[in-house]
Amino acid sequence: MVSINKNKGTTFRCRSQNGSSNKCRQIRVWLHKAINSRLGLDADWVQNHIANCSRCRRRFVNVGQVNLALSGMKSQPHKLDLLMRANTQAIGALKHSLRRAPKAQKLRVMLPEPKLFERCSKYTHSVTNVAACIAILLLMKIGIFSSMDKFQTKGQKVVEQYYASQVGEDLADEVFSRRVQIFIRG
Amino acid sequence: MLGKAVSYELIWDFTVSGTVDERQRWILSAMQSHGQELVTMLWRILGNEQDVCDTYQNTFLQLAHYKGRQKPEHVKAYIFRVASNAAVSMLKHRVAEKKRLSSAIVTRKGAVSPANELDSKYLQETLRCHIAQLPGHLRNVIMLRDLAELSYAQVSRILNISAATARVYRCKAIQLLAVWMGKEREEREW
Repeated sequence: MVSINKNKGTTFRCRSQNGSSNKCRQIRVWLHKAINSRLGLDADWVQNHIANCSRCRRRFVNVGQVNLALSGMKSQPHKLDLLMRANTQAIGALKHSLRRAPKAQKLRVMLPEPKLFERCSKYTHSVTNVAACIAILLLMKIGIFSSMDKFQTKGQKVVEQYYASQVGEDLADEVFSRRVQIFIRG
Repeated sequence: MLGKAVSYELIWDFTVSGTVDERQRWILSAMQSHGQELVTMLWRILGNEQDVCDTYQNTFLQLAHYKGRQKPEHVKAYIFRVASNAAVSMLKHRVAEKKRLSSAIVTRKGAVSPANELDSKYLQETLRCHIAQLPGHLRNVIMLRDLAELSYAQVSRILNISAATARVYRCKAIQLLAVWMGKEREEREW
């Protein structure tokens, strides 16, 4: 993202700022990776320490238990009609005119729907496969068309040589020059 | 003459109430756009369908009566904060009720075995009790980030804090919960 500016100094500053921010981002990613590899829970020395230190082992177990309970809470499903019932109950407590609104009728029979991203996630594999196939087909087509001319000229040369060796060069020249003329006229 | 005046008054009332209702239609729109997320969060906090419905109803009633039936500036933030506060007070009430029935809890404590360590429901109930005891600022972050699964940016907007602060609060909350879970496990082992 370099801004087009008449003032060259400004353009240069923008570019240099951009460059430094990119560098900054790269360093941040690198630092994150380095810290994770050295201080993350998977690092060897951390694992060795946890294996030998009873206090840290206890802490590790406790945090693991909290995470386990949290993931249990998240994965426990509720009944499909819970949203419908909650909406009905809430609308029932609102004003009469709001209760009779057409939107309220819709909300009373509303079922939970997965988000757009979740809905599309099951098609990601097939979409990537189709995209890969299309890319391969395009590359093949481009390759075939670009090499078609080469094949034609080389084939013509081979046939010309064959005619020259079999019938003689004069006749071959005559035949091929005539063919070329016809080809040009056509 | 009097009859005509009364009928005009009725028509006037009707039109005024109509305009008020038109102005309050946003409540239904809010229910439509945030209802699903809200129900999911309440279900994860409370784990009981009837409690979820009650809290959901209370939240929208409070929204309908906000400052003389006005629309709050940030509807989503308002709904989530009200709902989480209501859910926590319900959770606290439930914990107090459990403590009141102390005899039942004593027998339950005795019955806890190592097999219960892996009992997911037991773990969840314990965590719910501990979440209810967390300080407010830490509890809000845990609820919005982990139970409502909102991003740190959204959490920070709702709680009016920076995203970095929200991260720090979540880390502290997890540490505190881990200490409490550990203590309870030790008590049970003794």
